[in-house]
Amino acid sequence: MQIVLQVPQEEGQLRDLVAAIEGVLAREGVPGPVAHDVQLVTEEVVCNALDYGRVEGRGQEISVGIGIRDGLITLEFRDDCIPHNPLQHPDPDLDADITERPIGGLGVHLIRQLAEDVSYRREEPHNILRVVLRTDPHGRTA
Amino acid sequence: MSLSVQIESANGGSQRVAIAGRLDTHTYQELDRQLAPVLETLNKSLVLDLAGLEYISSAGVRSIFKARKALAARGGKVLVVNPQPQIQKVFDVVKAVPMNEIFSSVAEADAYLDAMQRKVLEGDDNE
Repeated sequence: MQIVLQVPQEEGQLRDLVAAIEGVLAREGVPGPVAHDVQLVTEEVVCNALDYGRVEGRGQEISVGIGIRDGLITLEFRDDCIPHNPLQHPDPDLDADITERPIGGLGVHLIRQLAEDVSYRREEPHNILRVVLRTDPHGRTA
Repeated sequence: MSLSVQIESANGGSQRVAIAGRLDTHTYQELDRQLAPVLETLNKSLVLDLAGLEYISSAGVRSIFKARKALAARGGKVLVVNPQPQIQKVFDVVKAVPMNEIFSSVAEADAYLDAMQRKVLEGDDNE
């Protein structure tokens, strides 16, 4: 099954988007812990896109395509901000002492760790981030 | 679907704060706002009781980092108690709090703090 949801680029709309995605996942019988990860990935991706859209004063809409098949959930986030590949950010230093550790950079790290696969591409005028998760929380090969 | 922050009266070696609901991009500022006066004056460790916390995102983890940084500057710690599995998972992924500073009960956290305190008093702290 495949569904596309759209929201304006406003933080307040994130709740509506997450609620809509939760509804889709519940209908499809996706287990709670996986739905939680999808929710978290969605928040991290959308907040990241909003941050960039805001900085540049660009970006009108974010759409999310959800596909569920063969034990995989594929989320495709599409925004119309300036080109921005979140996967280019270096991984945060998780082992640094708390006094020296930067407080940012965790969102992208979370996305990478929760997902089976993440990829970015630019299709003018859109940034497209594709995140794949497993529908079975225990089926993780790893 | 929101956040509740309960700041208990300080007792002994720690200040306990119970956080319930969702700690995310919509609510982290509320936690920052409520913790600010506590962090400003606290001269001991903060025990965050997360039994009622259902969801945390990186925005929420950043708030916990800010608290850890503020207290670390004064030799204090942020101990975490009772995190639900999905919260523990996020903490593990981003190493939000060292493993040995996460406890399954407030009593356990208090015992840890007492032991830490004794160590300091005995001048035994070789770290």
